[in-house]
Amino acid sequence: MRQRNNGRLLAMFIPAIAVFMAFFLLPLARLAVTSALGPAGVKIYLAAIITPRYLESLVYTILLSVGVTILTLIISGIAGVFLTRNDFRGKRLLVSLLTFPLAFPGVVVGFMIILLVGRQGLIGDITQWVSGEKLVLAYSMTGLFLGYLYFSIPRTITTLMASAEKMDRNLEEAARSLGASPWRVVKDVLIPALLPGLISAGAICFATSMGAFGTAFTLATNIDVFPIVIYTEFTLMANISMAAALSIVLGLITWIALSVARAAAGDTIAAAG
Amino acid sequence: MKPPRSILFYTQLTFTLLVCAFLIVPVVQSVLAGLTENFMVGVKSGLTLRWFGQVWNLYRDTIFLSILIALACLAATLVLGVPAAYAMVKKQNRWTRLFEELLVTPLAVPGLAIALALIINYGGFTGFRKSWAFIWVGHVIFTLPFMVRSAVAVMNAVNLREFEEGAASLGAGFWRRFFQIVIPNAMPGILAGSLMVFTLSIGEFNLTWMLHTPLTKTLPVGLADSYASMRLEIGSAYTIVFFLMIIPLLMAMQWVAKPHKRKFVMEKPDHFLTPTGGSVMKPAIAAPAFPDNKEARRTMSGTSLRLVNCAKTFLDGTCALLSFNLEVRSGETVVILGPSGCGKTTLLRIIAGLESPDSGGKVFFGDEDVTHVPIEKRNVGMVFQNYALFPNMTVAENIAYGLKVRGIKSDKRARRVSEMLDMMKIGELRNRRIDQLSGGQKQRVALARALAARPRVLLLDEPLTALDAKLRDLLRVEIDVLLRSLGITAIYVTHDQSEAMALGDRIVVMNIARVVQEGAPREIYFEPRTRFVAEFIGTINRLKGRLLRGRLVLPGGSIPLPESYAVQTGENVQLELFFRPEHAVLAEPGQGHLRAAVVASFFMGDRTRLILDGSGDDYLTIETKGIHSFQKGQQVEVSIDPDALLRLDA
Repeated sequence: MRQRNNGRLLAMFIPAIAVFMAFFLLPLARLAVTSALGPAGVKIYLAAIITPRYLESLVYTILLSVGVTILTLIISGIAGVFLTRNDFRGKRLLVSLLTFPLAFPGVVVGFMIILLVGRQGLIGDITQWVSGEKLVLAYSMTGLFLGYLYFSIPRTITTLMASAEKMDRNLEEAARSLGASPWRVVKDVLIPALLPGLISAGAICFATSMGAFGTAFTLATNIDVFPIVIYTEFTLMANISMAAALSIVLGLITWIALSVARAAAGDTIAAAG
Repeated sequence: MKPPRSILFYTQLTFTLLVCAFLIVPVVQSVLAGLTENFMVGVKSGLTLRWFGQVWNLYRDTIFLSILIALACLAATLVLGVPAAYAMVKKQNRWTRLFEELLVTPLAVPGLAIALALIINYGGFTGFRKSWAFIWVGHVIFTLPFMVRSAVAVMNAVNLREFEEGAASLGAGFWRRFFQIVIPNAMPGILAGSLMVFTLSIGEFNLTWMLHTPLTKTLPVGLADSYASMRLEIGSAYTIVFFLMIIPLLMAMQWVAKPHKRKFVMEKPDHFLTPTGGSVMKPAIAAPAFPDNKEARRTMSGTSLRLVNCAKTFLDGTCALLSFNLEVRSGETVVILGPSGCGKTTLLRIIAGLESPDSGGKVFFGDEDVTHVPIEKRNVGMVFQNYALFPNMTVAENIAYGLKVRGIKSDKRARRVSEMLDMMKIGELRNRRIDQLSGGQKQRVALARALAARPRVLLLDEPLTALDAKLRDLLRVEIDVLLRSLGITAIYVTHDQSEAMALGDRIVVMNIARVVQEGAPREIYFEPRTRFVAEFIGTINRLKGRLLRGRLVLPGGSIPLPESYAVQTGENVQLELFFRPEHAVLAEPGQGHLRAAVVASFFMGDRTRLILDGSGDDYLTIETKGIHSFQKGQQVEVSIDPDALLRLDA
């Protein structure tokens, strides 16, 4: 009986495994092989890292992603904890609005930034009215930064609200009963309790920022983020093995970031999605 | 009155509203831009819908293609993901965990890299490369983890195992369980996963931009195109179309995620279900509801039961049950009693067919060897500790389930369900959902469901544990009346000795994976074989003294012993004897065997329980009738019935 059930369970498993192997593992393996089959061989990875154009882009992208992650965690942490802790009229609507951009593709995010801080943007109009000079940020590093913030905040708020929900309110009350000031409560109770959630949300935020393509593509900034470099390498230069090598470098970075966070935060990262 | 909000509250609110403005202001701008004649001029240039006409002409194919791909992607993730999720939940081992890990890697690898990998590997298959299926495959890989996770989470949360065992005990096989129990109960998770998959597929850009061809443009690809090459108003109108598509999806997602607290309907509290009145408990279930139906009664009486050399060692090497034999006569009620973790539930699960005994063990129902017969073919009725009632079915559907599985026609089924509802006196609950029942009502439904298909053996796994004390007493009486009037073979597992004493024709006492004693309740109580049994069933007192001239001499006095003691043990030896509280009484001064001081007294209404010090190492517990009150330290004298003294193995 047990053997028969085992067989059936295996049968339920096989289609997913087969599709996954055929369309994910096999192509990725092929990608790795392809990268090393170019004229440079395995040394292409060295080139992928030390060539100034690639290295500069990689460093920029990492700095951008780290900066976005930190700011997103601060903003979403404050808003997320506030929203879990307080009940007021219109809260449901506010949460819905904050999570609405969750489903936006990167291109739409880029467009939103153009509308906000582009040549015809609201901020431009306001600054022109106030100071007579139009402030246009959309196509600079700042615009890119804002775009990354735009797609990171909704995701992070949902994750952090979920961890704040699970937090034991008694801990905070206990700290206050022992005389802790609000700041001490935040430092000694709130942040440690939120830490697994912060780590996992931060890792996801970082990985998403590293791989984000649509936003930069739409803003068409003069700064090339790493995914744009890969794209250019593939389509315009037709340098397939270099594109493959760069993709693998990028994939490894995001994968390592997520794994490290996972080890640090325990199992919660799996639940964080 | 609500307390006034603090400054901190308003600061945080303002902050959150600013964040919201950052996210929503451009959305509002794009909606305005899509509806105005000229965005540069502003709303005063007039409102128009003509940009939508242009979007329709230029990009309508992308809208349809996106919907097509999202639907296909949803279908694929359902077919692939839900069974895989189930297999992962059911079979937790190294391989399934490894696959679970692997399955989420597409989330960690940038879409661009996945797309590049797909192009390098499959780009040569021109037909495939040029078709929308190429994009579809990418979307499936990207969204599958979301479906699997969502399904796994809900399957873990709803305690699938219990429901499945419940269904199996009623005769449902593997696929029937999967489609009738697993899928409906995992529905919230599957639905949430589906919405997620659909939304992600509609909005996917990173992969799609690489995978598309001029003839397979999806909505986000079209959007990128319009932002780059069309005037702002057209791009905006197109974005509005996208918003209109995802808003219903997002609203549905929020609705699904919201915990749906159903209204709890309970007309009368449990205690008033029956006219107990406080003094005499008259059970709700009086007599079988089919006195005129002799055949029904006969088929109910059930089979005899025999376990031979049954032992159970789990895969990790823990021994849950040492080899033992058990025989149960047809119509007998046997109670398996023991502390938690003693192996009694394992024993019940072996009888049920939910566990198989180690090789060499055999289970017989009558003369039939059922050792290798799965639970769904054994025709047993089982009542689970938490009832395992199916939340996706009404009360009547739950009760009918075992009959339905057996292919009984619907009119006959309805008749039997009515019989069972009447018998358990729960006719008015017929159409209730399970979450609208109270604990006692669930208990009755669980019994009705287990009995509906006329099982050969009724198995009850701690059925009263989940109820409060008063209800437990009431239902114990009901179950007793029910079992006696049906004359069904029943195995009842409990850790509560009063339940065991009340219900069992025979009690099997277990401790640490072995049977320590079996016998009629009186036998177990008055002739316990070991100290464990004596202490587990009721209260027992220990007297540790010396045998001197036919008397047991203790610090507080001495007790005359029957002659057999001197013959067996000889003079002047250490002796340990035991007695039950009811075998001692308080004596007039000078008349008792022992003098003792009151340590504590507990007034229990009809009697008073006294804890006494005076016989050496241990305190004594005795009970006294009457209305006396006792002070701490008060001296009393105690007489003990010498014939009730017991010698017990450690």
